[in-house]
Amino acid sequence: MSLNYTIAMLLIALGFYCLLFKRNLIKLIIGLSVMTDGIHLFLISMGYRTGGIAPIVTSELSSNLSNFASRAVDPLPQALVLTSIVINICILALALSLSIYAYRHYGTLDPYQLRRLRE
Amino acid sequence: MIPHAPILAIVLPLFAAFLMPLVGLLSKRYNAAKACDWFAIAAMIGTLLLVADMAPSVWGGHILIYKLGGWSPPWGINLAIDGLSIQMALMIAALGTLVIIYSAGYMQRDTRKDLFYALTLLAITGMMGIVLTGDIFNFYVFLEIMSVSSYALIAFRRDSNAIEAGIKYLFIGSLGTSLILLSVAMLYSFVGSLNIADLGAKLATYRDGAQPVPAILIASLALFVTGVMIKVAMVPFHTWLADAFTAAPTAISALLAGPGAVVGIYWVARLPYLPFGLPVGIILISLGLLSMVVGVLMALTQRDFKRMLAYHVISQKGYMVLGIGLGTLGSVLGAQGGLFHLLNHSTYKCMLFMCAGAVLFRTGSQKFDELGGLGKNMPVTALTFLIGALAISGIPPLNGFVSKYTIYLGGIEAGLPIVTAIAVLVSALTFASFFKAFSSVFLGQRSERLRETQEAPKLMLFPMLMMAVICVAIGLLPALGFNIVGPAQSAAENSAGYISQVIGGI
Repeated sequence: MSLNYTIAMLLIALGFYCLLFKRNLIKLIIGLSVMTDGIHLFLISMGYRTGGIAPIVTSELSSNLSNFASRAVDPLPQALVLTSIVINICILALALSLSIYAYRHYGTLDPYQLRRLRE
Repeated sequence: MIPHAPILAIVLPLFAAFLMPLVGLLSKRYNAAKACDWFAIAAMIGTLLLVADMAPSVWGGHILIYKLGGWSPPWGINLAIDGLSIQMALMIAALGTLVIIYSAGYMQRDTRKDLFYALTLLAITGMMGIVLTGDIFNFYVFLEIMSVSSYALIAFRRDSNAIEAGIKYLFIGSLGTSLILLSVAMLYSFVGSLNIADLGAKLATYRDGAQPVPAILIASLALFVTGVMIKVAMVPFHTWLADAFTAAPTAISALLAGPGAVVGIYWVARLPYLPFGLPVGIILISLGLLSMVVGVLMALTQRDFKRMLAYHVISQKGYMVLGIGLGTLGSVLGAQGGLFHLLNHSTYKCMLFMCAGAVLFRTGSQKFDELGGLGKNMPVTALTFLIGALAISGIPPLNGFVSKYTIYLGGIEAGLPIVTAIAVLVSALTFASFFKAFSSVFLGQRSERLRETQEAPKLMLFPMLMMAVICVAIGLLPALGFNIVGPAQSAAENSAGYISQVIGGI
């Protein structure tokens, strides 16, 4: 279980490093999605239980609710991760389309070269 | 009160946004060019009426709780509207309406106005959701709705500047929202709840220092504060704001400077009390002071109309954060001043951006060097700009003076007269900067090219004049503002009341 958390934190750190130090828009986008995937892994690991069952109340389980509650995984993080994945797809799509326009206007993907506004 | 008003205030702009492309198609089919404008304005006026309808019962001391799907808190998602939320919701709806009316004039030369309005209404939906919700993950979702639509709106015209500013804001903003998501995840792993009132109740044991604060809570708070500060654009995290506000269509600069500022400050005002309730006053005061000083110094050197206004946004937001920070040290006046300054600043900064937009619309330029002597051609714009400039510099009898003076008093009340001194100094520098802007745009030599410049269209003048009237009215009768800000400040501080009403009130 702690492996999950380690990997999640590693992914977040890698993504953060990529966002800070890479000089290519596509790499920045990759860094952003690696970082959010790390957060998603962290979220989903939180709700997991070793040997857990799906959190769906069926007729045979509903007779013994306390047993069900002690074995079912937490459904809330799954819902949160689904929502968050959808949101991050929007950001990814928007970022990629903006990068295409940036390449058309500036002829480069280096974010340090996008500096017409400063002048 | 209209039944289901809280959720309708979010759903109405949301559905209007989704219907907008359809309205656009129909308007093209039947040659009704203005259909999109009227539809967007009608949706915003409807939202404003819904919010105004909720206000009296909230000011009567209730917290409106709306349970989505009938699941009572803390299990379901709920909307909880207290005095602080209603101030923010009123401002978003009112200023949003005026910005949409302004866009109807400002965007008339652009194509695909239906998409522009769809994105604008989505951004307003996000803002409305942020201030009305009582659930912290819900807050994150609405924050993303607002952010993603504002990235797209900044890049709306797709010229090189707009794309550059859009990309910068997208990366910095997404980093900020990811930090907030990580913070929410940590909070959930530690407490096991997402309801703000429930979180506040369960974290109350750490608030009074009875138990040592665990590391994960501090990490979560740090991530949350960083995320919110990126959205508010306090100084170490401010770099996106100037570019975004310079390159965006001016209606969007006004939207982000007015209603957009509201959501960030809403969370700054909420943060010291709920859900964490840990002392963040010193952080707020130092960030506020830094932003005030750096923002105004950067503004003084700018030669671009909108870029100068953008740096003043940073500086003035510093005042609000400072005021709220003073409030956590026990100065009621400071907190009231901070929230009051938000009310005033959103109004006149929206108006100032609209003036810059009117000049840009008529002359095609936003550089100080290329403008001059426009006071004769655009007298109404010049007058509204003058009112806004005097208000932001804190000259009596305009509204900026009242709120700044309250913050000055708050600084003395909190026992930090040095803070008051810095705030007065920044105010003087603000005046110098606006004096320069006014004289280089509206006074002085008029170049040959600008001789035939006309006054802005009436659709653009109307919202500007409305805001000028609000500025003067609040300046002459400060009680109007204090009646809104007073309940907001006491609601923000009263976390025990919030918790008991949300969790106890079924």
